[in-house]
Amino acid sequence: MGRVRITVARLVLAGFLPALLLASAIDRPAFAADRFPLALKDDRGVTVRLAAPPRRVVSLAPSLTEIVFLLGRGGSLVGVTRFCNVPTAASGLPKIGGVSDPDVERIVALSPDLVLCTTDGNPRDKVRALEEIGIPCFALAPQDLDAVFTAIERLGFLLGAADRGRAEAEALRLRARLARPPSDAAEKPAVLFVVSTAPIIAAGEGTFMDELVRLAGGRNAAARFSGRYPRLSVEGLVAARPDVIFVAGMSDVERFLPEVTRWKEVPAFRDGAVITLDGDLVTRPGPRLVTALERVSAALAEWRRSRPKAPAAGAGGER
Amino acid sequence: MTGGGKRSRAAFPVLAAALLGAVALSAATGPVPISFRAAFDAIFRGTDDTAARVLLSLRFPRALLGALVGGALASSGVAFQALLRNPLADPYILGVSGGAAVGALTVALFLSADASPLLPLCAFAGAALSAMGVFLLARRRSGVSPERLILMGVVVGAFLNAVIMLMVTLAPPGKIPGALYWLMGDLGLGTPGRVAVLFPYVALGTVLLYLLSRGLDLLLLGDHAAFQAGLSVERVKTATYLTASLLAGSVVAVSGLIGFVGLIVPHGARVLVGSGHRRLLPAAFLLGGAFLVLSDTLARAASPAGELPVGAVTALAGAPFFLYLLRRNGRRA
Repeated sequence: MGRVRITVARLVLAGFLPALLLASAIDRPAFAADRFPLALKDDRGVTVRLAAPPRRVVSLAPSLTEIVFLLGRGGSLVGVTRFCNVPTAASGLPKIGGVSDPDVERIVALSPDLVLCTTDGNPRDKVRALEEIGIPCFALAPQDLDAVFTAIERLGFLLGAADRGRAEAEALRLRARLARPPSDAAEKPAVLFVVSTAPIIAAGEGTFMDELVRLAGGRNAAARFSGRYPRLSVEGLVAARPDVIFVAGMSDVERFLPEVTRWKEVPAFRDGAVITLDGDLVTRPGPRLVTALERVSAALAEWRRSRPKAPAAGAGGER
Repeated sequence: MTGGGKRSRAAFPVLAAALLGAVALSAATGPVPISFRAAFDAIFRGTDDTAARVLLSLRFPRALLGALVGGALASSGVAFQALLRNPLADPYILGVSGGAAVGALTVALFLSADASPLLPLCAFAGAALSAMGVFLLARRRSGVSPERLILMGVVVGAFLNAVIMLMVTLAPPGKIPGALYWLMGDLGLGTPGRVAVLFPYVALGTVLLYLLSRGLDLLLLGDHAAFQAGLSVERVKTATYLTASLLAGSVVAVSGLIGFVGLIVPHGARVLVGSGHRRLLPAAFLLGGAFLVLSDTLARAASPAGELPVGAVTALAGAPFFLYLLRRNGRRA
């Protein structure tokens, strides 16, 4: 059923996308011309000025690389991090180091006319060093799904692909709306999103995973712990009683140890509702967050379906 | 052999009670609420519900593991302090921790995740290898001097630390949190299985050290005096060294690097029972166990953001506790 809905969404999109592109081109002639020189404030409050669309761009985060390709400006990228593996074309580009350890000298050697960075992953002093050399740096720090869509529009503006940016963002917004559960889905399963299985580290409030769970009609079982990435003991997991567990593995195989899964008090272990998702999908604030939302939503829909219609009192809190 | 007599005899029941109290407190703390009645039923009537299973297969094993680890670290600390005639010696000073860490991280970071049964074995092998290496490097025809042992231990330890940093840097990102928690010291997976793995090593090590206690007393007088008192100095030193490394290495294999216990608990125990090893060793074991179990309880209870690594708590709680003991002792003397 979930799969059927996603297919419907795709069909709708196939029809909508060209129409949206057309509409945005007609609606807002101001953006169509990609006005340069432009001045745009970034998420640090720094105003970045560009005389012409940038031709040599360095991206300091995988999410930003994905967005640049989404905007059809992948050809302008001259440097990316060693974690930038999506789309495949990104892996072939020159590497400038990692997200937390970009090599300033290598970046300068690429003589970029724009560096795209994040405020929560890249070290500030390195970005400042680049700016002191005279390389404009545009920082983004989207904290939720909506901000990711806006970031796509802003980057489109910045890279001289404003129309494309608006169209892509609009298409993603539509997909995100379609992925949400019907409003009559009253039952909210307790969902635990873990980013590591040994030790067990969960995604708490203030993470993208928390937002995905809420948007998909679940409640975050890790919300009872404070902090963005609380570490849970086995007992903490038993006490949280998640109905569904998502494992956002960074490595290919992330599994719970058998001494953890034998706790059948945890409904997710009892019913086998443990779902592995590609870690990149849920931790990168890029376009594929919507894909993650679709998967989470489909899994929760599956959970609702497989559940016998029990009286509402049976949902959660028995103890 | 100072401070014997009445005070030291009274100390043992107090220490034993402290350890039992710490274990009970630890078993009463945790996110799953367990009533006193449920706990009573679980222990004496063998009920099988969530409360009973949490109590018997999570909390008690963890508390027991804490007691064994703390006791072993403290005993090993006593031995190293006597062997090196240095109050600042601890179980990790001679490269034991570094070797164990390299062994364990090799398994945890670069082999399959399912190889976890291999982990304690490799950690122990690493600890034994580096301990042997340091010992052989420090050995001369005239014997093993404490100064050379410390020097070699520090050099080998620094080298191994560099290797650890390199390994963590090169590790696949998904495996880094586990490695870091382990490096900080962690009792998080205290399962009955691990207690069973650790127990024989700790039992063997503590009994051997206890048998060596007269020798350790004499070593404190200096090699020459010990020799004149009829001690085969080299043999006692070698035996002490290997036994203490065995204790520390096996503990590191199961619970990671828990600092401070092996350094400060021996001093605390000395304040309570004096420096005669036949009293000091058991006292240090009890005090070390109680201290670590309490620290772990604190690590689990104090933080709203899940769990803290116990190694962070031992260091935070350990230093002030140590200062308190030293000052109290100073006032009495």
